[in-house]
Amino acid sequence: MEILTGLKGLSFFPLAELEVGKHFYWEIGSIKVHGQVFLASWFVIALLVLISIAATRSIQRVPSGVQNLMEYALEFLRDLAKNQIGEKEYRPWVPFVGTLFLFIFVSNWSGALMPWKVLHLPAGELAAPTNDINTTVALALLTSLAYFYAGFKKRGLGYLTKYIEPTPILLPINILEDFTKPLSLSFRLFGNILADELVVAVLVLLVPLFIPLPVMALGLFTSAIQALIFATLAAAYIGEAIEGHGGEEHHD
Amino acid sequence: MIQWTILLAEAAEEGGGLFDFDATLPLMAIQFLILVVILNVLFYKPIGKAIDDRAEYIRSTSQGAKDRLAKTKALAQQYEQELIAVRREAQAVIAAAQDEGQKLVAAEIQAAQQQVQQEREAAAQEIENQKTQAFQSLEAEADGLTRQILEKLLGRELV
Repeated sequence: MEILTGLKGLSFFPLAELEVGKHFYWEIGSIKVHGQVFLASWFVIALLVLISIAATRSIQRVPSGVQNLMEYALEFLRDLAKNQIGEKEYRPWVPFVGTLFLFIFVSNWSGALMPWKVLHLPAGELAAPTNDINTTVALALLTSLAYFYAGFKKRGLGYLTKYIEPTPILLPINILEDFTKPLSLSFRLFGNILADELVVAVLVLLVPLFIPLPVMALGLFTSAIQALIFATLAAAYIGEAIEGHGGEEHHD
Repeated sequence: MIQWTILLAEAAEEGGGLFDFDATLPLMAIQFLILVVILNVLFYKPIGKAIDDRAEYIRSTSQGAKDRLAKTKALAQQYEQELIAVRREAQAVIAAAQDEGQKLVAAEIQAAQQQVQQEREAAAQEIENQKTQAFQSLEAEADGLTRQILEKLLGRELV
């Protein structure tokens, strides 16, 4: 409890304060939502949409400027999906996997780079949308749905045989996997981003100048890596569901 | 860590906390799906089309260039062969002409030599004839002179 009181004492420090688990609630009818998450995510979405519009406003055969950047991004995302899902099947999944990457990446970086603190909310504070568990769980559950959909679409009910492959003894573990996948996806992202922002906040609390900069730079790196990991794993799960669990097809 | 947990628990009691699940989750999922659809229309399709079109354009252009290159090479080879054939023909013509010229020269030389030979033979013949003629007239003259000498020496009656 000493730490608690210490923290409370520190929070009177005028330069920075630490808020964890406080939300800016909006009540729509009888349901409650986290307003700060939606505000930040709308900013991210607007950014993505605007840059897409800027990139595709006048498409040239020889790309330049924004179009070039976004073509690079798309080729990167296509490569990511292609590597995990495979040459034949990856194309319909590029939008999903790519949007996962773009949304998480821009969210993370916006949390690290945007001076959200300038905007005051009645409660809570603006931050990366990905440091709210709701967002990461939503994305992880969508990923689960996506790979179930991919598996059933590709292999019909035969998809269910993956639970008893390579032997029926592994049935419980295979079923457990379907729960651990979204759990690990969502908590990895949530934990990393929240921890990163907390570390920066604590350091800023202790030493407001210069010292937090390396940690912030590291945070940018971690954020990018987390987006890449999330998108890669999502693509890998989809690819696995499409290919089949046993991996017999790999002997080529 | 315990203190943190307590802190989180306290926050949760006030209606908050780190693991505060509520309607944000489904709404965020729906929002994300809408974003996927929007970006599919605004970003993935047009940019993807641009990339594919360019790849197709480069592929077809390079294929055309390759075709043209192959055609050019074939043409060059054809011309080379034609050139070789023409050169061979020219050489044959030259050789034939030289051959003919040499034959002509040889024939003329031979003819000239024959003529010279004939003329020489004719001249020799004539010389021979004149020689015999000269000898005959010389002999006749010698005979007449001998007779005269004899007449002078022995007298007319004895001869």
